[in-house]
Order: sequence, then C-alpha cells, then structure tokens
Amino acid sequence: MNIQEYISSGIIESYVLGLADAEERKEFERMVHEYPELREAREAFEVSLENNLQFKGITPPTHIKSKILSAIDMEGHKTSPSISGGGTSVPPVIGGTGDNYDDNRSALKVMVIRRDFSRILSAAAVVLLLMSTALNFYFFNRYKEYNDKYQALIATQTELASHNQILQTRLLEYEKTMEMMKDPAMYIVKMPAIPTSPDPLSATTVYWDTRTKDVYLAVNRLPDPGSGQQYQLWAMVDGKPVDAGVFDLKDGVGMKKMKNIPKAEAFAITLEKKGGSPTPSLDKLYVMGKV
Amino acid sequence: MGTTTTYTENELVSLLKSRDSKAFSYLYDNYSGSLYTIIAQLVDDIEIANDVLQEVFINIWRKIESYDPVKGRLFTWMLNIARNASIDTLRSRSYQNTQKNQPLQDNNDWPEAGKFTSANIDNIGLKKIIERLKKEHRVLIDLAYFKGYTHEEIAQIEDIPLGTVKTRIRNALMQLREYLK
Repeated sequence: MNIQEYISSGIIESYVLGLADAEERKEFERMVHEYPELREAREAFEVSLENNLQFKGITPPTHIKSKILSAIDMEGHKTSPSISGGGTSVPPVIGGTGDNYDDNRSALKVMVIRRDFSRILSAAAVVLLLMSTALNFYFFNRYKEYNDKYQALIATQTELASHNQILQTRLLEYEKTMEMMKDPAMYIVKMPAIPTSPDPLSATTVYWDTRTKDVYLAVNRLPDPGSGQQYQLWAMVDGKPVDAGVFDLKDGVGMKKMKNIPKAEAFAITLEKKGGSPTPSLDKLYVMGKV
Repeated sequence: MGTTTTYTENELVSLLKSRDSKAFSYLYDNYSGSLYTIIAQLVDDIEIANDVLQEVFINIWRKIESYDPVKGRLFTWMLNIARNASIDTLRSRSYQNTQKNQPLQDNNDWPEAGKFTSANIDNIGLKKIIERLKKEHRVLIDLAYFKGYTHEEIAQIEDIPLGTVKTRIRNALMQLREYLK
C-alpha cells in the first residue's frame, strides 16, 4: 500500500476521532513519523473538524465554569507533576490522539474511585461513630459497675481498719501485760480464794513494781459484781486495810493499774458498793494473798 | 474580562502546562461549547452532560502535561477526552440504572424533562454532519462514535460481517472528511 492509498483509507479520520484500535494507532503513529504528507493530511482533517465544531455548539450553563475554576483552584499545584520541565523532560508521555481513550478512562476511573473513596470514608466515619457510641455506653456501664464495687471496697476497708485499730489496742494491752509479767523487778502476789469466799473459784494476781511501788492487778477469775457494786482492792499495812482502788471487770483484759502502795503485808479484794468503802466488808472478802 | 486575548495553540499549551489559570479560563471560553455539544449528543441528559463537562475540563487541567502535540492538535485531544468520558459515563452502572428507571416512550411528542430536545441537539455539530451520510453509513458511525462500540460489537449488533463493518465505516469516514472541508 503506498502512502496516498493509506491517506485515503479512512485511517486518518479513524485515528483523529478515536475510532482506531490500538494496533491501528500504533501503525499510524509510526507512519506519521515517516511520512510528512500523512501528518499534513491529518492536520488538515483536524483543522477542518475543529473549524466545523468550534463555536457552533450549545452553551453550557454559566455556573459550570465557576465550579470548574474553583475545583482546579482547590487542587492548586499539588497535583501537577513537574511544572518546570515541560513536556519534553517527562519520559513516557502518554497522550496524543491515539492513547487518549485509555488515558482518559483511567483519569475518569480516578475520579470515580475518589467519589467511591469519599463515600467509603463517610460510611467508615458513620461506622466508627456508632462503634464509639456503643463503646461509650459499654464503658459507662463498666464505669458504674466498677464505681459501685469501689465504694463497697472502701466501706469494707474502713470496717477492716477500725477492726484493726481495736485489735491493735488489745495487742498493745497484751504486750504491756506480757512485759510486766516478764519484768524481773515485778513482785508477784498470788491471791487465791479464801475458804469463806462467796465464790471459791475466784483468783487474782497483783504485780507490784518494786522500784515505783505501783500496783497492777490481773483478774484471773471473779464473778460478775452485779449492778451498783464494785470490787475493791485492799493492802494490809501494819495489820490495817488501806484502800488500793476500785475496779470494773469490763475494763479491758490486761492489767489494771491500782493505787501506789509503798508497803504492805498482804492484798485482799472485797465486793463493795459502787465507788468503794472506807473499810472493807469482811463478809464479802473474795480473795487474799500474802506478800 | 474586558480584554480579549488570543493565544496561538502553542502558547496556550505551554501556558496550560505552567498551570496558568487565565489560559485555562480562555480555553474554557473557546472550547466548552463544542465539547459540551459532543458530550450532550453522547449522553443525552442535561444533568449528566453538565457533570461530564466538569470532569472533562478538570481532567484537561490535570493531564495537560501528558498532551503531546506530535500526536495531534489540542482540540483533537480534548475532543477525545470528552468522548471517552461520555462513553464511560454511558457505560457506568449508575447511568444504566437511571436509564432503566425511566418509562419507555414510543413517541417523542413532547421532550422529556432533563433531555435535550432533538431540535437543539441533533441539528448541530458532528450529529448534523453525520445526518448527511447514507443510512447504512450513518447507523454504523452512530454505533461506533456515539455509542462507543467496537467494530466486532457492531458486526454482532447489526449482524453483518466484520469486514463489511470496517469497509463501511472507512467509507463513511472518507465521506465525513468531504463534508467537513
């Protein structure tokens, strides 16, 4: 086929109008390179097409131009690949008539993908919002649950602390008692029940500090005194009873500190009216121990 | 606005490649009508034509770097972008769905809302030129150019041999060249 036949085969129009297939386009582009007259013929057809179509169309709505201008304005220059280099420095230039079809399809796809992408983004945002709301609800319930538990724990803890305080006080009392019992300077006077005691199982012990002469009483066993009555400790000094103080059975478990007694031959306990008596009621003498 | 500047095609291309928005505005003023017409003739719906026109000009702006003057004139390049965008839209599922949802109309006594009337769209541009072709040529050009079918598809649709399709289209195109002169 000579070049004139090729020119008048319809390939030019087919190429320019985008109807040629890939193979035809490739061949045409090769031929254009080789035959200047083919290029001239192509340009002649392009110019006549352009002259026939330009300014002879319908006018698009005026708002479209401003929409397009603001769209490209928003894109700014960030999408432009290389501004300075121009067409020549960009290596494989896609374009020209032949490649436009695929070229433009991909551009459209990009737009469609962007649209889809933004749709996906907003769908994802909704999903995230729902998830976040659900999580908020879940965590709020968890928070309430844990707060209740926490309050309960605080109450328990306070209770335990007060128990602990009581135990500590008791422990201190026991420790003090123990200290006194172990102290070698402590003189111990065992006071068993006397034969005429109202309660023959009664027993008490006096711990008498030989340095300070302080008297401590440990109740091993005494019956409940009954209301309005108190036990009273007496020291026998030169054959006469000297008041060494009254005490209650409820005053803790440890030693009861009684009055200071510098000198005594024996100790005894009687049951007296509340507050004690100046002289012991001998018919209610429970226990006695000699020094 | 007041001043009218004219650019040669080379000037216009190099200004566009340097992202000159004034040149782009000029390009729009000079070519939007013809491109809008071809788009309208292809998609046959005002709203869709408006959308496609926007896409086309945004793509021209984005892809001007890939325009190669050796392969053809700027208008040819833009015309192909417009045609391809329209055919892509025609073939996209969403467009097919909107088409399906419209009632079939046997007679076109009154124009459907949203449609271009045949009076204002078929009697201009390429459509008008193609109208002058013989019917057997016109049908094939319509399928090839305005519907975007390949020669093979046309052969199937029209139930004629592929060779005949090719010959007829080539002859039609030669005829078209004469009309355009």
